[in-house]
Amino acid sequence: MKALEKLDSHLKSRLTDLSKAKEQGRKIIGYTAGGYLPEELVLACDAIPVCFIQAGDNAILKDAGAYICRWFDPFWRSQIGYLTSGKDPYYTIVDLIVIPITDNHVRAFSNTAGYYTPEIESFVFGVPHVKDKLALEYYIHGISRLKKKLEEFTGVEITKSRLKQAIRLCNRERELFRQISLMRQSENFAVTSKDFVALNHGSFPADKEVMVEILESFVEEVKDSVPLPKDGPRILFTGSTLAKGDSKVMDIIEDTGGVVVIEEFAEGIRPYWGKVKLEGDLMANLAESYFMDRVCPGWFRPGTERLDFLIKLTRDYNVAGLIWYQLMYRESYKVESYFFPDILRKETGLNMLTLESEYDAMETGPMKTRIETFIKTIRR
Amino acid sequence: MADYYDELLKLCGFEDEEIEKERPRIEKSFERLGIGPEDMEMAESWVRQNHDVTLTGVRKLLGAWLKELIDVVLAKDEGKKVVYFGFPAIIGPGLMLSASSKDVLVTAPDMVLCHTMGQIFNKLTPILEAGEANGLPPGHALCSLWQVKLGGVAKGMIPVPDLALASSYSCDMGSKADDLVTAQYGIPVAYIDGVMDSHWGEYPEYLPERVQYLGTQINQALKKSGKVLDIKIAPDAWEKSQKGSQEFVNNLLRLLDLMRADPVPVTVTALELLEALSMASTGRGIQEGVKAMEILIQELEGRVKAGIGATKKGAPRVMMELGHCSDPRVTHLVEDAGLGVPLTFILAWVGGPPVKVEKTYATPGERIAAYELAAGAFHGTDAMIKRMEMATDVMKLDGFIRDYIYNCRVGALGSHCGRKYLEEKTGLPVLLLEVDIYDSRAYSAASLRTKVETFAEMLKAKKKSVMA
Repeated sequence: MKALEKLDSHLKSRLTDLSKAKEQGRKIIGYTAGGYLPEELVLACDAIPVCFIQAGDNAILKDAGAYICRWFDPFWRSQIGYLTSGKDPYYTIVDLIVIPITDNHVRAFSNTAGYYTPEIESFVFGVPHVKDKLALEYYIHGISRLKKKLEEFTGVEITKSRLKQAIRLCNRERELFRQISLMRQSENFAVTSKDFVALNHGSFPADKEVMVEILESFVEEVKDSVPLPKDGPRILFTGSTLAKGDSKVMDIIEDTGGVVVIEEFAEGIRPYWGKVKLEGDLMANLAESYFMDRVCPGWFRPGTERLDFLIKLTRDYNVAGLIWYQLMYRESYKVESYFFPDILRKETGLNMLTLESEYDAMETGPMKTRIETFIKTIRR
Repeated sequence: MADYYDELLKLCGFEDEEIEKERPRIEKSFERLGIGPEDMEMAESWVRQNHDVTLTGVRKLLGAWLKELIDVVLAKDEGKKVVYFGFPAIIGPGLMLSASSKDVLVTAPDMVLCHTMGQIFNKLTPILEAGEANGLPPGHALCSLWQVKLGGVAKGMIPVPDLALASSYSCDMGSKADDLVTAQYGIPVAYIDGVMDSHWGEYPEYLPERVQYLGTQINQALKKSGKVLDIKIAPDAWEKSQKGSQEFVNNLLRLLDLMRADPVPVTVTALELLEALSMASTGRGIQEGVKAMEILIQELEGRVKAGIGATKKGAPRVMMELGHCSDPRVTHLVEDAGLGVPLTFILAWVGGPPVKVEKTYATPGERIAAYELAAGAFHGTDAMIKRMEMATDVMKLDGFIRDYIYNCRVGALGSHCGRKYLEEKTGLPVLLLEVDIYDSRAYSAASLRTKVETFAEMLKAKKKSVMA
């Protein structure tokens, strides 16, 4: 597809573009995955947001081993490895790292950034684990501190009109992702999950305006494309993190004839269901959308909102089975994976396959066997 | 009339009349726990092997844990409403609930099982296995303390609680496991949420909104607890809870003062029994603990005067971050290698520089929150490490053993950075040990011996060269 080719080409020169922008005095704001940083704030002060999303390579975990013990989620250990080793230039080109703290795995990264790499300034704010008025206020405090920090750091005031403009742009991006995702509710659709994920991953470092153009072209192209074959079982693919570079499970599902029609991940897939309102208090609107309206990840307490959402997705996307992909030592997802299959079966009659990874190549064989068996079972 | 358990209970500090008075309760609870005559020989030998039973204070402490165990096991039979809180916990809300009604038992049952079924009966493994079979499987670095709690409930040893008080301010695993228990047993949960979002280097400062958020969460959880349990939170619950816990802290400080002596007068396993009790019990255990401390203080004063210690005079002194909660052999390993252990992290927390809260707050929740943030343990990783650094001066240490719990993310967060920080700031050597202080099946004393002995030899040689 031409849109994807354009994305590839944009990303190939992205680091060079970022270096040039930096030379011209623009600030590059790196931030951690999870979807709790309103990119609008970064864009509104003419800075460039870059989300850290690379992982999947077991070798980087060895680098991280010098900074943290192994009993943390491999995605977050990868973030530590990339930051400290400099092996991925996106992690070190940034001027400021913003870390919305969601759970203790993110804290591991935050500690590392604060203690081991003080040469890159970092800024943390917390994301509560419950949803109520108090928690919302706390989140608003956090993003308001961030706004002030970004204004000081860039020397650009985030005015209402600048913020509104940024919200419009981000709303357009979310709308396009939503539109593409919803196409897959139909029986005749032409969007592969791999393409959707590639667009998502590409959007994290991409220039926002370029990305919106790419998504618009993609929507147009897809309308004229030949629908995908219908013979494979439709799969809901969910978990904590789907990193750029972690395509192992998706490859196997595709190879064994399964068709992922919807992905639900807290880290690695941009939350695209919501829309930030443009009227009234814009900071409150950002908080409402990014914190309250967004379906919470597994580390919220209780986690029922997300589990109910998964059940809704199984119906909306008419899936035949659910593949739950969790990363080792991310306890929130591990614990939920024990009791959710019963709820799922009771509510929908569907089965769930649980997979777990530490980004180890040795996992591929057993994973393939399990996925093949699952696909065969639900195909019947 | 004497029964099969009398000797063991006497060894654990029970008086004859206490045994007589408690006999029906003891028998009923032992039956539920699967403890019979066949277990007594092992239990007595296990207690003698692992605890300094020449000290009445230590025996009384073991008794305090047993009394807490009996109370937990029989709580529902005796018409009490049961509240379990997650560990490690901000104990204030639990103490306030306890102070509000005599009909409510608020406890950390997993810690109680570790210190009794582990430290006294050496029968923790089947409970751990039951936890593994009921939602928290092995091999995933899931919290073994939670495996104990879940296993205890699954085996019917401890009652299904009426309410879970979730420590959502620090531990992700605990709150999520509360979801699991809700899914399995339908128990309501009162979440006390908080966010550990301090920036590295921020301690001792903290954002006022953290106090407000955590404090209001505590107040809300108390309100919900009152509703679920159908009790009224007493207007003086805060004052009452402070009074009881202050007595305990004062005695702990007196004991810590005695631990400054050379040689260190008692094995740190004795103090582990105390520090854990203060964070696990809000009822009889804590009251009995205070009494036991009074006796222990007198006994240790005598030892200090006589120059008697758990290790040789002049032995290098180390802070061991955490004592083992269910298998004291792991803690003893350090002392057996010839190192004096006057302090753990938790004792350093109590015994370090006094915690000062600058502002006064209107609600109990905010007072509790402000204190906990100022104290450091629920502030962030660097706060915890700085409190350890402060302990160096308190106890004239020669080194640190950072035994971090591998399957506790909160504890493991500071594994590597803590070692680097402490070595750089104090100039003292730090041994990093990966442990599981609740389950010694994989992390046994034997598996850790080589590392500890090598570290001990190095410290001894260093101390010798300094003295020469």
